[in-house]
Parts: sequence; structure tokens; C-alpha cells
Amino acid sequence: MTEPLYLRLRKRLSVKPGAVITIGDICQLYIDGRQEKRIASLPIYRVKPEDGDMIIIDIMQVIEKLRTVFPELALEIQGAAQIIVEVDRPRKTPNLFLVACAWIVLFIGSGLAIMNFHTDVSMPEVHQRLYQLITGEQNRQPLLLQVPYSLGIGLGMVLFFNHLFRKRINEEPSPLEVELFLYQQNLDQYYLHHENKENQKIKP
Amino acid sequence: MIILKQLVLVVVGLGGGLAVGSGLVAFVTVLDIIPRLTQLTNSRPYIKAYEWALISGALFFTVIDFFDWSWHLSRYLMLPLGLGAGIFVGLLAAGLTEVLNVFPILAKRLNIDGHLLVLLMAMVLGKVCGSMLQWLFRL
Repeated sequence: MTEPLYLRLRKRLSVKPGAVITIGDICQLYIDGRQEKRIASLPIYRVKPEDGDMIIIDIMQVIEKLRTVFPELALEIQGAAQIIVEVDRPRKTPNLFLVACAWIVLFIGSGLAIMNFHTDVSMPEVHQRLYQLITGEQNRQPLLLQVPYSLGIGLGMVLFFNHLFRKRINEEPSPLEVELFLYQQNLDQYYLHHENKENQKIKP
Repeated sequence: MIILKQLVLVVVGLGGGLAVGSGLVAFVTVLDIIPRLTQLTNSRPYIKAYEWALISGALFFTVIDFFDWSWHLSRYLMLPLGLGAGIFVGLLAAGLTEVLNVFPILAKRLNIDGHLLVLLMAMVLGKVCGSMLQWLFRL
């Protein structure tokens, strides 16, 4: 075996509880186009019930395994040093009562927030002034301005997050999707740092 | 002496205007409102025009406000004006990243990753109702 084995860990993998993870599940491999299948089917880890939702497999474990089976093999490692394996347990169903509570909190809270904002910036005075400037009339309660204004707030928020035009015009993600992605990425980084036993060696 | 006083006033006014104007632009920029609108309308070549819309809008309304430049136009013109102002404030409110940061965490805790729209609608309806109530009952 003179050719080196090129391998690269994938980003994420999700498995069923109790599954056996093979080298091919977590790595992309290339050697010479013929021997990959044999190497890929090597088991590296069996998911145990006490593992929790996340398992982190370090590249060192892969190297160890490959070295014991193929001591002659030269390894060429690319990319990330760890992979996160997610264990797919049956999903908990959302608690409808909690969801309702969150919904009400968000509803009341955001309503209060917009009212605070309006008071903070003296929005009623500004509306009266604008009404007077455009129509030349005084009006203590310019509802003609304020009702569409209120509807506009809702429309503006929906526009900011929305998916209405997105499918038709372009494929870019909405800000919320980007935010969800960033949050997931931060979580992954945290797991990689804290759950990986190899990272936490304490010198006796 | 009077000329000096007026010169100081001019400098102070100009300085204040510069600070407020750059503040406004910074605020709108930080909240990514223009990029979002460009993305929605697929109009990247027109970003310059949007910049000018912002500038001329701010300037125009400052001028009519300060010089009491009252126009005697139909009151129904207030309908589109109000709608436009509302959409802008809605974009501002939605763009505040504090709002955006809450959703991923809330969705994870409640196990409703797939139904974020429900929570989003709570927020949107809350804003509309809060605003409506305030105007209709003059709170």
C-alpha cells in the first residue's frame, strides 16, 4: 500500500439509537478507487443508551482504529478534527400549554414594546404634526394616518421575515433562518469544546 | 458680535445635523433594512437609489417640519403615507437583533423547531394590536 488514504470527517451525522457507526458513515475516503468499500465498512462506535443525544467522535479515534487494522496504511487527513453525531430519539411532542403561554407572552410583550416605543419618541405628536403639515387641518386623533400605520407595522415585520416572495424571486435565506443556523453552529461549537473527552485531559 | 453669534449658531446647527443624520443612517444600516428590501425586490443595482431615498426623505420632512410648510392636500393622502411609515417601523422592529435572537432558543426549549411561524405571528399581531389600541383609545 504505497498510496496514502485520504480521509475527511463529515460535518454532522444523525443515527438511530443502538446503531453501529462505521468509518464510512463519518468520513469521506479515497485511496485508489478499489479499497474504500472495505475500509468504509469498519465499525468504529456503537451507540449506547447512556450516550445522550450527542456523541463526538474525534479524528484520533479514527486514526487509532485504522492503525490497528491496517498498520501499513499512510493517512492523509483533511478538514475538521471532530464530528458531531446526533442520536435521533423519538421527538418529544411540543407541550401545547407551554406553547400557548409563550404565544401570549410574545403577543402582550411585543404590543407593550411598540406602545413604549411610540411614547418614547412622542409618536402621537409626530402624527398630529404630519397630519397638519399635509392637510392643513388640526386633528387630535389622526386615525386616517394611524390605522394604516398600525397595519403597516405588521406588514413590515412580515416582509422582513417573510417567505412570500422569497420562493419566487431568489433562493436567499430569510434573516430568521440565518439566525437559526448561527445558533445551531454556536451550539455545535460548544458541544465540540465541552463534550469531547479528548479536550478535557487534566494532568494528574 | 451678532455676526459671531450667528456664526456659532450655524456651526452648532451644522454639527448637530451631521451627528443626527449619520446616526439615522447608522441605525438603519445596523438593522439591515435596505439589504433586506433589496433582497426581497431583487434590485441590487438600485442600492444607490435607496440611499438617496433615505437622504431625501429625511431632508424633505425636516424642511417641511421646521419651516412649517403646510400643504393643503386631501386627507386621504394620509392613508398611503401612514401605511408606508408603518411598514418602515415594522421593518425596524423586526430587524432588532434582540428579537431575532429570542426565537431559536424559544423554539428549542418548546420543541417546536418547525413551527416558528406561530411564534412570529404572535409578535406581529401583538405589535398591530398594541399600536391600534393606543391610537383608537388615545392611551
